[in-house]
Amino acid sequence: MNVAPVPPSLPHAAITITGLTKDFSINLRGVKLRAVDNLTLAVPEGQVFGLLGPNGSGKSTTIKIILGLLEPTVGECQVFGVPSGRVDSRLNVGYLPEAPYFYRYLSGTELVRFYGRICGVPKARLADRVREVIDWVGLSAAAHRRVGTYSKGMLQRIGLAQALVHDPRLIILDEPTAGVDPVGSAEISELILKLKTQGKTVLITSHLLAQIEDICDRVAILDRGKLILEGAVAELVGRQDQQALIVDTLPASELEELRGWLTARGHTLSAVEQPRTRLDQLFLNKISRSPKNGGQA
Amino acid sequence: MKFNLARLRPLLTGSVVVTILAVTGLVVRPLEAPAWDWVRARQPALKLDSIQGALGQGLTVGLLGGFRAIVADFFWIQTHSVWEDRDLPATQTFIKLVTAIDPRPLFFWINGSRMIAYDMPNWRIVDSGGYNAVPQAKQRLIDEEQATIALNYLKEAFNYHPDSALLHVEVANIYLNRLKDKTNAAEAYRRAALLPNGPFYAGRIYAELLRKLGRKQEAYDWLKQTYTKLPKSVNRSLGISEFTVDSAMAPVVLERIRELEEELNLAEEKRFVP
Amino acid sequence: MSTAKRSVPFSLSRLGIVAGNTFLEAVRQKLFNFLLLLAVALVASAQLFREFNFGSSELKFIADFGFGAMVFFGSILTIAATAQLFFSEIENRTALTLLAKPIWRTEFIFGKLLGVFAVVGVFCALTTGLLLALIYNRETALIEAHPEAFEAGRLIHYGDLLMMGVLQWLKFGVLAAITLLVASFSNTNLFTVVMGFFMLVICHLQYLARDAYSHVTALPLRLLVQGLGYVFPNFQVFNLADQIGIGQGIDPMVFVRVGGYALTYIAVFGALAVYSFSQREI
Repeated sequence: MNVAPVPPSLPHAAITITGLTKDFSINLRGVKLRAVDNLTLAVPEGQVFGLLGPNGSGKSTTIKIILGLLEPTVGECQVFGVPSGRVDSRLNVGYLPEAPYFYRYLSGTELVRFYGRICGVPKARLADRVREVIDWVGLSAAAHRRVGTYSKGMLQRIGLAQALVHDPRLIILDEPTAGVDPVGSAEISELILKLKTQGKTVLITSHLLAQIEDICDRVAILDRGKLILEGAVAELVGRQDQQALIVDTLPASELEELRGWLTARGHTLSAVEQPRTRLDQLFLNKISRSPKNGGQA
Repeated sequence: MKFNLARLRPLLTGSVVVTILAVTGLVVRPLEAPAWDWVRARQPALKLDSIQGALGQGLTVGLLGGFRAIVADFFWIQTHSVWEDRDLPATQTFIKLVTAIDPRPLFFWINGSRMIAYDMPNWRIVDSGGYNAVPQAKQRLIDEEQATIALNYLKEAFNYHPDSALLHVEVANIYLNRLKDKTNAAEAYRRAALLPNGPFYAGRIYAELLRKLGRKQEAYDWLKQTYTKLPKSVNRSLGISEFTVDSAMAPVVLERIRELEEELNLAEEKRFVP
Repeated sequence: MSTAKRSVPFSLSRLGIVAGNTFLEAVRQKLFNFLLLLAVALVASAQLFREFNFGSSELKFIADFGFGAMVFFGSILTIAATAQLFFSEIENRTALTLLAKPIWRTEFIFGKLLGVFAVVGVFCALTTGLLLALIYNRETALIEAHPEAFEAGRLIHYGDLLMMGVLQWLKFGVLAAITLLVASFSNTNLFTVVMGFFMLVICHLQYLARDAYSHVTALPLRLLVQGLGYVFPNFQVFNLADQIGIGQGIDPMVFVRVGGYALTYIAVFGALAVYSFSQREI
């Protein structure tokens, strides 16, 4: 994948949201529903940023405003310094909507080609570029099948391909793993990490907080439209005053000896536990299918 | 402030749309009006009161919406079917309904009048017991009644087709065939022959009727005058086809002229020189 | 990729891509299949008219029913296809993906309009072509059977038949633009279709309001009636098909005027649809 030259003085903000409020009229008498409430946020360039929160917390509304699909009631939003209401703010943005549903009468190739042409990918490069991204998301074998026959996971991947076809600097993924099985989820996570290594900025939303914890550099958590927490993942979830040591199983006598050794030096052994593998990891190991290789694009 | 504005937005949008449409309507009027006048001039006014009862609301809206020709066609097919059943009241009603809906096609008038003048007397006589049972005088009366209805119907047709030679021919035929009235038939054929699209045979029949009525000099003058205008040879550049020449029958007309000259005992030097 | 501040000018090519995709959707969703039915019905009804022995007037019947079917089915196709092709984007949320690209809403709306216009164009071309073939074929046979009825040559003006096909197409274009305007603010496909038909009827009958205008004495009502005459386009000006059936020609100037009238309305309704859609929250 061709990586856009990233300015060395990171982090520049890819998205800047200032004092953003969005109200929806929910009936004719003008009763309002506040979907986003005075949100101020910056998504640094080159990072994977998680916008988290329960259903109805305002994540999708925020994304639609970033994409210019909705107009803010109050406040402003800029993408690479361009107000999000302007068409040119979307030049460098790729978007994968939640539970995507594409033109089912097109084949995978036709679909990505269509979006590539809309995004102005030069004709001379279009065919190669389409093949490249379809290959990158691992759909080459199904590229000529109609999108209507794709599974949920395949739809997510073809959605990712169309989001990447014009090589954008910012990729917005709305609930990319919702409804996708653990294998598909793991594959998508892998692809997102690859995008990061290419210097892309990725904004990802999820209501499954744990699922994307591993891949995000920073997260913001919304609840009822309000920002309740924002920061680097490591800072937010890591406990700075503790450490975990993992060793092979010790007999009770040696464990006691170790405890004594620690106490003698003023430390406390807080817990002795059996480490557990995560269920999704167990599942992946059992079906002996590791997340597929995305391949170089 | 912003909240109130947002609330008024759909109303504002609606007003803008209506205003722009009204302005557009004004601006395009010069384009539309002449075209509409042209279309209008070719659409005789609908006499809704006479047909509304027969049609029902759905079809009336169809008529107003511009589906006149097709609604009339549809009722003509209906006419055809009741005509086949020899249902006199229904046929008569449908014939009038069709031309009330769309008086433009001559076809409806001509065929309608033929059904009234030629078929209906037959049905009535058959219904009254047949040609053998109904006395001649009664048969004659029926013929006259139907012929009068047909002539009145055709009179209405002239309101829409004042220059139609074929209508005059139709009138002439009814006078001649149904009423045995040669004088009125001759007059109707003459009118047909004088119209620019009048068929050649109308002029010939007119002369023949004059001859039978004993007005031979009139017939002779008419034929002489006609003969000079008849196409005698094919001329494609003037649009004179073989068919036109054949139907003009100039040699036959000349033959009739000669016969009349004989009957009028005209001197050689006074005879017609083509 | 260059840095962010690059303006995106309006692009006919993007508009064409949307139009092409809309057309492709109609084709692949088999929207044209019913054309086959219509063709069979037309040919069958033309056969039926032979039974009546109408003579040369048989051509009038074929022309009337042919154009009647074209107007009727064409109107249904136009309204249904416009609503369907627009709402398939909204309901399936493909519009979300598309409008999140660097594309103007103007390009999207006019692309949709052009796509539907192409669909209806194919419909009109095929129906007119079929009708032309049917009538020509039948007229040729009738000339042989009844030469006296064709003394002045062929009765049907075939050029006018083509003009009529084009005018119907343009009328459907206006109807599509009107339906798209309704769709741009409507929430459901059904509402759009119902409103589309409602507008179709109003546009066909607006001349009645204009006729009534001179008889209305109460000023507010008079203004309302006059306003109605200006707000809705007059679809009766497209109603020239009757002329063909009775062998009368269409004035070319009328054709040009009506054509200009239609194109103006397509542009205006299209622009209004863009205006209304630009305020729509997707």
